[in-house]
Amino acid sequence: MADTTLLNLVLFLPVLGAVALFFVAPARGDVVRGLALVTMLVQLVLTSILYLHFDPAATGLQFETRLPWIADWGVYYQIGLDGYNVLLVLLTAFLGPIVVAGAFSAIRKDVKLFYATVLLLQFAMLGTFLAQDLFLFYIFWEAMLIPMFLIIGIWGGERRIYATFKFVLYTAFGSILMLAAVIYLVYSLPEAGGARSFAFADLYQVHLPLSVQTILLVAFSISFAIKVPMVPLHTWLPDAHVEAPTAGSVVLAGVLLKMGTYGFMKLGFPLFPDATQLLTPIFMTLAVVSIIYGACLALVQTDIKKIIAYSSISHLGYVMLGLISLDLIGIQGAIMQMVSHGLVAGGLFLMIGMIYERCHTRDIAAYGGLAKVLPVYSVVFMILTLASIGLPTTSGFTGEFMVLLGAFRATWPAGGAAFVTSASAVLGVVLGALYMLWFAQRFLFGAVKAPHQPLQDLDLREKTILAAIVLAVFALGVFPDEPMKKTEVAAKQYRELVATARTPESIARIDVVAEPIATVAATTEAIDATAALPHLAISGSKP
Amino acid sequence: MSWQTVLTAMAPEHLLLLGIVLLVLAPLAGIKGGAATTLALTAVLAAAIAAAALHVAGYDVAAFQGHFSVSPASSLAKAIVLALAIPVVLMSRDDFADGPFAILLLSSLYGFCLLLSSESFLTLFLGLELMSLPVYALVLLAFTRTQSTEAALKYLILGGTASALFLMGVTLLYGGTNSMSIGAFTSALMTGDLQATSAIVLITIAFFLKAAIVPFHAWAPDAYEGASVPVTAYMATVIKAGVLLAAVRLFDVVTLTGPAVDLVAILPLVSIVWGNLAAMRQTSFRRMIGYSSIAHAGYLFYAFLGAGDTRYQAVLFYVIAYGVMNMLAFAALPRSDDEGSRDNIDLLRGLFQRKPYTAVVIALAMLSLAGLPPLPGFVAKFLIFRNVMEAGYTLYAVLGLVGSYLGIYFYLRVIRMMFMSGDVAVPAQRAPDRWSFSASALCLAVALALSVFPGWFIGAL
Repeated sequence: MADTTLLNLVLFLPVLGAVALFFVAPARGDVVRGLALVTMLVQLVLTSILYLHFDPAATGLQFETRLPWIADWGVYYQIGLDGYNVLLVLLTAFLGPIVVAGAFSAIRKDVKLFYATVLLLQFAMLGTFLAQDLFLFYIFWEAMLIPMFLIIGIWGGERRIYATFKFVLYTAFGSILMLAAVIYLVYSLPEAGGARSFAFADLYQVHLPLSVQTILLVAFSISFAIKVPMVPLHTWLPDAHVEAPTAGSVVLAGVLLKMGTYGFMKLGFPLFPDATQLLTPIFMTLAVVSIIYGACLALVQTDIKKIIAYSSISHLGYVMLGLISLDLIGIQGAIMQMVSHGLVAGGLFLMIGMIYERCHTRDIAAYGGLAKVLPVYSVVFMILTLASIGLPTTSGFTGEFMVLLGAFRATWPAGGAAFVTSASAVLGVVLGALYMLWFAQRFLFGAVKAPHQPLQDLDLREKTILAAIVLAVFALGVFPDEPMKKTEVAAKQYRELVATARTPESIARIDVVAEPIATVAATTEAIDATAALPHLAISGSKP
Repeated sequence: MSWQTVLTAMAPEHLLLLGIVLLVLAPLAGIKGGAATTLALTAVLAAAIAAAALHVAGYDVAAFQGHFSVSPASSLAKAIVLALAIPVVLMSRDDFADGPFAILLLSSLYGFCLLLSSESFLTLFLGLELMSLPVYALVLLAFTRTQSTEAALKYLILGGTASALFLMGVTLLYGGTNSMSIGAFTSALMTGDLQATSAIVLITIAFFLKAAIVPFHAWAPDAYEGASVPVTAYMATVIKAGVLLAAVRLFDVVTLTGPAVDLVAILPLVSIVWGNLAAMRQTSFRRMIGYSSIAHAGYLFYAFLGAGDTRYQAVLFYVIAYGVMNMLAFAALPRSDDEGSRDNIDLLRGLFQRKPYTAVVIALAMLSLAGLPPLPGFVAKFLIFRNVMEAGYTLYAVLGLVGSYLGIYFYLRVIRMMFMSGDVAVPAQRAPDRWSFSASALCLAVALALSVFPGWFIGAL
């Protein structure tokens, strides 16, 4: 009971913080910053408590709140933690104080508005992850746009207006299609043999014809794929990243992009399993194309922020590959990869922000040999670079490796078209090492070159922020077992939902052959048991 | 029918009438300026409370058989729209305290109340005209600007055309059914012979004209731009609400089928798209709102596609959400002594630096009009499109939603001006006086309540 209250508090704490900010005099920038930081830190502490209390063995929602909101429509205020969202909520809460503290020196204009916006964004993001009701989810999903629009548009770079409008118009287009699909889905439920409800749990029960499923999945997918972003819907991302202030980039890479993959995992694929089966080759191909194409584009960039932006496209391609593989290891790898990318890309964007504050340029050609003048900076940068490549003992390795393993197992035996597709994803690892190492080599090593010299190395604030990130990166790389236990039940549920046919015809089939279901269930369990074993072996052998 | 019935049933109307009479007499007693506005405010408030009381009491009486009836539903609509007029009175206090503003406004509201209770085409027409005629004069009140005359004249001529079309349609209906009851309209919807169909088309077009649906929309941007701010706010919210609620009354709870669906879907869809597209290029704030109101009229007529019994709730909720947010924007708009430049959209540049509260409030209004959650505009739009889709018109719903997407750009453009542009040298702007401020605070409070507890409002309608 107490934990339920705590979860609601976690969700609404940023709103309270933003309201409190309203009463601070605009001139008192220090009070504003302090208040925002304290709010985020309290939120992180409370979220950590919830994470520790989270029972990995339990199925279903934990710390659930369900209150009628728009009673006439069957809309509930329903939030809760489950294996799908627990790590992402923790990641969001973890990045919160980092974003706030990271912007202390960079944001000098409209400080109060900035932190209020960041806090409201935090609220919307947590709400999106926690919502267990489709209507509530959509509200939070769409509400995220507004603070991000302001963050890029007000505190961004030179072409910020162009970038922010491109971001909003792109995303809103996806959302409008999703809205149409949401309405259609919910109001076709009575015909499909369900009650009118927006609750995810009820929506998973519904049996829709394949044609309807396909149309709805496409509508949801466009919306989610824009957020991920998947090639060819990715063109907003580099602009948004480059023009956004550091804090905006960190939130964007750290959490916002995960919304797309989380949407696929929680809604897109499980709601429309038969259509997902049908479209698997397309999703798989697009995921692999994103991995390779993103990596290729990262290779040729001259703007350091763009390198990381395109690498995000590539890394989120792995997440999609893992999710669509429907292999237990692949799915868990995808979740790990989401968290890992949030930490690593977030950290890299922070570090780019730090060097940008010192030198005011993001042109890679302007830099060189920073290892000699900025030793601490360079060590941390190198660690994050290696984590981005996926070196063992870092979080990047756990995610990527498991995704690839999962994809291979799912598309085995070798030789088929599907296997060729998933095998080409390995190319992304090679390219990833190439662009990141080449970038680090030009950036950190060679003759010393920087637009502003002498350069100050990291101060205490920056060191603290980066130490937290590096610690988390290693923790996930060395001890991936603990977080993976929390997501295991959800990964199984997800696979069960997507792998089970759910057309109206499939009900009829079940009615006819009621007997074999028990055997089917038994075999699935057996498969789960065998599937669980190798992943323990992997995570055990890693350190 | 006893005199008590007449007194009770028409209580809101009587209170408005009393207000008008007192306002006419007020100058003789030396009551001027602020006191006169307070009088008008009291009258509107009392009428709204009376209507709300009738709704709560469930008062359901046909006071004048076949012409005028009161039902809880119509009382609720009266109460809501009368309440929406309160910010208009507050806003007008500074510029129009003396003179006929309040009298004209109250007359128009009287017409509106009559409209919602009408049982026959006679009272309906009377209400419609009584609501519109004072507004032509209201547009002219800001006569310091040359555009005002042009706007009033355009509005008058097109309003007259609408009335003529309406009367022609009513004549055809009367010729066919020998009845002046508004029920003749719904029965004509069922029959579908040539005369009935022509009547329906004519009457619907009259409503399209009054609500500014493309291609009958050309008057709206001019009239909105030419009028002074409180009048524009009044036209954009109360008049639009009146026209739409009258249409709901006429269509009753009949679920549309066949060609009637296309009649109320195609032109509104075109309005949504065209209104949103044309608004993108406007340089005047009020003109932009004029085009935006064309698009919103489109959404409102979309509500007619849904099942008959859902129509009233959808329109009423939309009217509240749209009205409150529009009112909010107008009440917060910075004042300038030069009416002509007051609504140049460029003057909003850097507004956040100068007046943070105003900028935030206008931004909220814009986001709500754009239909972005969690603001009330989203729930209102959801309600309408849900009904359309539930009735089975998926294609129209999707096209309408995509049309509404087009609108996001120009609402965000206003926010961009206020928050993302550098400060500009602006002609002296007065801070909104405390009356306008209280009007905006009032709307803001309602808007927040609508955002947090939409379920309560929907349940109450």
